[in-house]
Amino acid sequence: MIEILSVTGPASVQDLGRFDQYRFGVGTSGAMDDVALRAGNILLGNDENAAGIEIPMLPFKLSFGRDRAFALTGAGVEAEIAGRSIPPWWRSYARAGDVLTIKAMSHGARCYLTVGGGIDVPIVLGSRSTQFRGEFGGLHGRPLQPGDILPCAASTATIGELGIEPADLTLARANASTDETIVRVVIAGEYDGFDGPTQALFWRSSWKITPQSNRYGYRLQGPAVKPRVPIEKRSHGIVPGVIQIPPNGQPIIQMRDAQTSGGYPKIATVIRADLWRVGQARLGGKLRFEQTAYTDALAAEAEMSAYLDRLRTNVRLVEEIRACR
Amino acid sequence: MPIELTDIERLAQILERSGVDAIEIEESGQSLKLVMDTGARMAASPMLAAAAGPAADHSVIAKADVAGHFLAAHPWRDKPFVAPGQRIEAGAIVGLVKIGLLYAPVIAPAAGTVDAVIAETGAMVGYGTPIARIRPLGKISPIS
Repeated sequence: MIEILSVTGPASVQDLGRFDQYRFGVGTSGAMDDVALRAGNILLGNDENAAGIEIPMLPFKLSFGRDRAFALTGAGVEAEIAGRSIPPWWRSYARAGDVLTIKAMSHGARCYLTVGGGIDVPIVLGSRSTQFRGEFGGLHGRPLQPGDILPCAASTATIGELGIEPADLTLARANASTDETIVRVVIAGEYDGFDGPTQALFWRSSWKITPQSNRYGYRLQGPAVKPRVPIEKRSHGIVPGVIQIPPNGQPIIQMRDAQTSGGYPKIATVIRADLWRVGQARLGGKLRFEQTAYTDALAAEAEMSAYLDRLRTNVRLVEEIRACR
Repeated sequence: MPIELTDIERLAQILERSGVDAIEIEESGQSLKLVMDTGARMAASPMLAAAAGPAADHSVIAKADVAGHFLAAHPWRDKPFVAPGQRIEAGAIVGLVKIGLLYAPVIAPAAGTVDAVIAETGAMVGYGTPIARIRPLGKISPIS
C-alpha cells in the first residue's frame, strides 16, 4: 500500500480509461498522457492498463508500506526516494517506509507514478480511472488527499533500475520547438462554416494555453476565430480531442474528463496519436495545429503502436541480458 | 590445466573470425570470460584501460553492464550525473548506457569521491567498460 503524505493540485488515480460506457454519457477519463502511463507499466511488467497516479502539480510526497518497484514517467521531475535522486522516465524501487518526494517539474505538465502490480482501487464501470465529473472511480471518485491509503496489487516486478528515453524525445516532431507544442488535427464537422481567411488564421496562430485548462478541457487564447454566420447546433456526441469554437472565437480542446456531448461548432479534432502531447502541454505555453489527412492520422496511430511494440521488446531484451549477468 | 595467455589469444582470434561477441569458460578453480570489442568507437582503449588501473591505486571502477552508447547526463538535464570531486553513495547512478529506447544505469559499486568520469558521452561502451573511477571512503586523500 501507499500513503499520500502531501499533495498539491488535483492528483488522481487513472488507468487508460473507461471506454464501454460512452453511449450512456459516461466520459472516458483515463490518463491525459496515455503513452507515459503505458511506458511506466511496461517498465514494471504490469498490464498496460494498470492504474497509476497522475500528478499535475508539485510538490507531491508519499510513502511505501512495503518493498515495491515503481516508475516515474511523463513530465520531467526532480524526484528522490530514500535520498536517491531519480532520473526522468525511470524505474526504481522502494523499501518499506521509504518516502518518495517529487519536487520541481522541468518538462511537461503531468507526471505518472506507476507501481509494480498497479494501484488496486475497485473497478467501477470497467475502469479504475477517477471520473471527476461523476465523482466515482479512482479513490472515492475524488482527487487524492494527504492521509489517503492506496492499495497495490501483488507484483513480481524485477527491482533493478532502468530508464526509458522520454517519448517526447523519441517521438519528437521535426518542426517542434521548445516553447510551442505542435499537434496534428483532422478537420471536423463545421470547418466549412468558417471562411478561408478565418481557417488560415486558425492554422497559423500560436494559441496560448490559459490557466482555465485542465482534465476537462484546454481553453486557448488567440485571435478570435468566428464562423461566417453563428452556428447553433443541438448537443451531439463529441470525443476527447474535439476542438470547439464557442461564440467568443476562442478554441476549447475537449480532454479526458469532457462531457460526452456538446453543441458548439467543431472546427477540428486532435488525432488520437497526438492527444498525449496536449496532455503534456503546460499552462501558459503555446499550441499550434497542423492539418492532417485522415489516412495520415491512421498512419500516426500505427507508428504509435510500433513505438510501443519496440518499447516492450527493448525492455524484455535488456531484462534478459542483465538477468544473465 | 591452467588457461595460458596464448590460449586466450587463440580464443580471441577464433571469436573474431567467427563473429561471436563473447565466450565464457568455467572449469574447477578458474573461469574465463572474453568479450569482443565490436564497436569502432569502443571507449575501452588501452590508455583508458590503464587509467582504469588494476590494484596500483585503491580506486574502484563503475562499469557498464550492457553494450550501448554512454551518456554522462540525462538528455533532459543540464548537469551530468556526477562530476570529479563529488561525494557519492554506493548504488549512485554515475551515467547511462543508451540501448535502443532504454537507458541502463551505470552504478557506483562503492561510496566515495568521484576521481574521473572515464567514458565520453556518445562513446560506444560494452559489458565491463570502465565508466567512472571512484576513490572509496576511508582511504587517505591527498587533499582535505
